[in-house]
Amino acid sequence: MRRLMMILAASFALAATASAQGPRIDAPTPAPLPGTGLGGSTVPGAPPSVPIESETPELIVDLSRARVSITSAFHGESILMFGMFDPPGEIVVVVAGPPARETVMRKERVLGLWLNTGRQAFLDVPAYYAIAASQPLQRLLARGAGGEILSLEDRLSTIRPDGSRDPAELAKFRNGLVEVKRDEGLYPAAIGQVTVQAGRLFRVDLPFPSRLPEGVYDVRAYLLRDGRIVAAVSRPLPVGKVGFSAQLAGWASHDGALYGLGAIFMALLAGWLGGALVRRL
Amino acid sequence: MEIYLPIAELSINVFVLLGLGAAAGLLAGMFGVGGGFLATPLLIFVGIPPAVAVASQANQVIANSVSSLQVQLRRGNVDLRMGAVLLLGGMIGSTAGVALFTYLKNIGQIDFVIAVLYVVMLSTIGLLMLTESLRTYIKRRRNPGAPRGKLHTHYLVHRLPLKLRFYKSKLYISALLPVGVGFVIGILSAILGVGGGFVLVPAMIYLLGMPTTVVIGTSNFQILFVAANVTFLQAVTNGTVDVVLALLLILGGVVGAPIGSRLAAKLPGVVLRGLMSVLILAVAAQLLVELLRTPSLPFSLGAREALQ
Repeated sequence: MRRLMMILAASFALAATASAQGPRIDAPTPAPLPGTGLGGSTVPGAPPSVPIESETPELIVDLSRARVSITSAFHGESILMFGMFDPPGEIVVVVAGPPARETVMRKERVLGLWLNTGRQAFLDVPAYYAIAASQPLQRLLARGAGGEILSLEDRLSTIRPDGSRDPAELAKFRNGLVEVKRDEGLYPAAIGQVTVQAGRLFRVDLPFPSRLPEGVYDVRAYLLRDGRIVAAVSRPLPVGKVGFSAQLAGWASHDGALYGLGAIFMALLAGWLGGALVRRL
Repeated sequence: MEIYLPIAELSINVFVLLGLGAAAGLLAGMFGVGGGFLATPLLIFVGIPPAVAVASQANQVIANSVSSLQVQLRRGNVDLRMGAVLLLGGMIGSTAGVALFTYLKNIGQIDFVIAVLYVVMLSTIGLLMLTESLRTYIKRRRNPGAPRGKLHTHYLVHRLPLKLRFYKSKLYISALLPVGVGFVIGILSAILGVGGGFVLVPAMIYLLGMPTTVVIGTSNFQILFVAANVTFLQAVTNGTVDVVLALLLILGGVVGAPIGSRLAAKLPGVVLRGLMSVLILAVAAQLLVELLRTPSLPFSLGAREALQ
């Protein structure tokens, strides 16, 4: 109970400082308690909590853009996350797209032709998942105290299948899902590089491919010391169509009939004008 | 220059799409058929999802046929009565076709069905055209200037009930026949995104026995309304019509069509048909290879459904 009170207090304090000054910092996400040292006692299964010792945040971050805008000229975008932390420490950044239900279809050869023969839906598949770190991730998380920082494999091992299936088969579909997403650039295989300057400034480029699902992405930065999370900051990053393409897509999904009539009218006009133009020439 | 297609949800080079539209327009100008049956497979090759390619191509077909229909109407080459009867079948066929399309899309088989139908259709047309043009070529080499024989015979036509008189086509045939033809073309149009002129025109000449003067105009009439129906129904049920994609194809077509008709005036018809058949067969072969080859990724993803 006391711990809970302290979490609340810390959150309020952070929120207050954030609104009072400079870059907005969201309430830190719960992270494992650092404990009293290496042998610190953390109750297994207890909710992870935030380090409480400081009122000043040890980790300040911002993004070069507040949102990813999918315009008519969009062909992927790189967003810069930068910030400052209290040394010593290492930085890990995790970007996760909004979870959605995805159906994986498997092709098999039937009478010489490849066609979809099996399908499996998963309930909470992140649209996008990428990790960047200032040190090789294995080294940072070597002590197993990474807490909520999950590698792609770990994150995907938690997605729930819709319906039951033989575990070996499920694993195949899950691997298939990763392969397709990787192919589309949505699950980058490589760990991104977080560059640290002067021991306390960091920056990382977050690449987003052109086939980017819409939704609110979560960009999280973690400060690690001795393999433990001492601070975590989360930033929402909305990804959405804007301008002309947003209007068209919205129109198409909300009022298909009107959109269809508009499409017919557009084609009639274009065909008529084009024809008239060509005959003039 | 890349452009983001809002419905296909991917970015693609503008000039690829303009070029595709121009190529389709070129064919349209050369042969008087819409180039949809080549443009759709090519759109799929460049990465447009087949469902979007088909629906947007139907949208493009409207523009293509309206500009030809204008000319044909002015010349009085449209049998409106025949067009209306064909259209009756076409509307039923295309509505059923979109329903079938939606069903196939939901069970995850639409891409496969589109590919298989294209392989069957393109290889049949390609082979027929190739043999026909080779035969004509050889015949002309042997005795140039030989007249072509009479092309159609009436056998089935006179036995069916519900006979109607089509003055402009100088025909007295059962209405069931054009309705049936329209129905089949409607289904093709809905599932493959084609106008269907390349099937409709031969069917009108050989099956219905219509005079060639009114064939092109009347088929344009039927195709215009069927394509509009398909566009509307695809937009309502599947939301797969990408107007940006369609507009780029139309713009390309505006450029390509006059070049095509100029080329057609210069090259002999046999050579043109021969070239076209080779092109059609090449596309069919490529589609067949895609179906037969072990895919690099045997998995694919269906539509994402956001969590509530």
